[in-house]
Amino acid sequence: MEALFYIFSIIAIFSALMVISVKNPLTSALYIILCFFALAGFYILLNMQFLAAMQILVYAGAIAVIIVLAIMLLNLAKTKGAIKDFHQLVIGIIAVGLLFLEVILYIDAAGEKKPTGIYTNAIINKVGNTQIIGEFLFTKYVFPFEVASILLLVAVIGAYIFAKK
Amino acid sequence: MNINVNDYLIVATIIFCIGALGVLIRKNLITIFLSLELMFNAANLGFVAVSEYLNLMSGDIFVIFIMVVAAAEAAILLGIAIAFYREKGTIDIDKANELKM
Repeated sequence: MEALFYIFSIIAIFSALMVISVKNPLTSALYIILCFFALAGFYILLNMQFLAAMQILVYAGAIAVIIVLAIMLLNLAKTKGAIKDFHQLVIGIIAVGLLFLEVILYIDAAGEKKPTGIYTNAIINKVGNTQIIGEFLFTKYVFPFEVASILLLVAVIGAYIFAKK
Repeated sequence: MNINVNDYLIVATIIFCIGALGVLIRKNLITIFLSLELMFNAANLGFVAVSEYLNLMSGDIFVIFIMVVAAAEAAILLGIAIAFYREKGTIDIDKANELKM
């Protein structure tokens, strides 16, 4: 398990770095698909197989295909100068480094916490995580579920209006 | 040594920071969107790790809603990118400067 964790983290971090550093947006899109697969591996290690399947279907399947479609439609070969000016690069790296340091300090400062829920790995494996998620979605979280469907409708209409001549 | 929740959170933090750096330094609209997706995914990983650590399911439900938002955002982005490209002939976001004083 530890070896798998390290393999997935190395692949995820490497591909994330490649996403923001390669020049061609199509290569970025391919690297982000690799990153999505590595994250799906994390979800399986965390005993959430349904989310791993959703990760691959929705992210690596749908969203990455939309990106590649956008790249195909837009003829991006002409865009040059991938990175903004030098000052923005320096300020960005320092700001993100500080953010990283702060979050790491915050994680270190958080002490041990007792598990509060009842959904241990044994129960999840016994019932099946798809069934548990489905029950939650249609009982406790039914209102956000309906709102999410309206959000998707709005997104479809909005995309049509934006892309329309 | 055993893998605990902090290791997952550190990996999520690294990916989030890489995504934030991409948003700050890149000019290309598509690459900025991909960096946003990286940040979404880092947040998802944090949700799932903490949710598994605390034996809760709420984090996993949140991840599904985040995926819905990301999918909606991808569709909107495609529309915006096409409209912007039609207007400017490029997707360099430095060219989006109509509001400049």
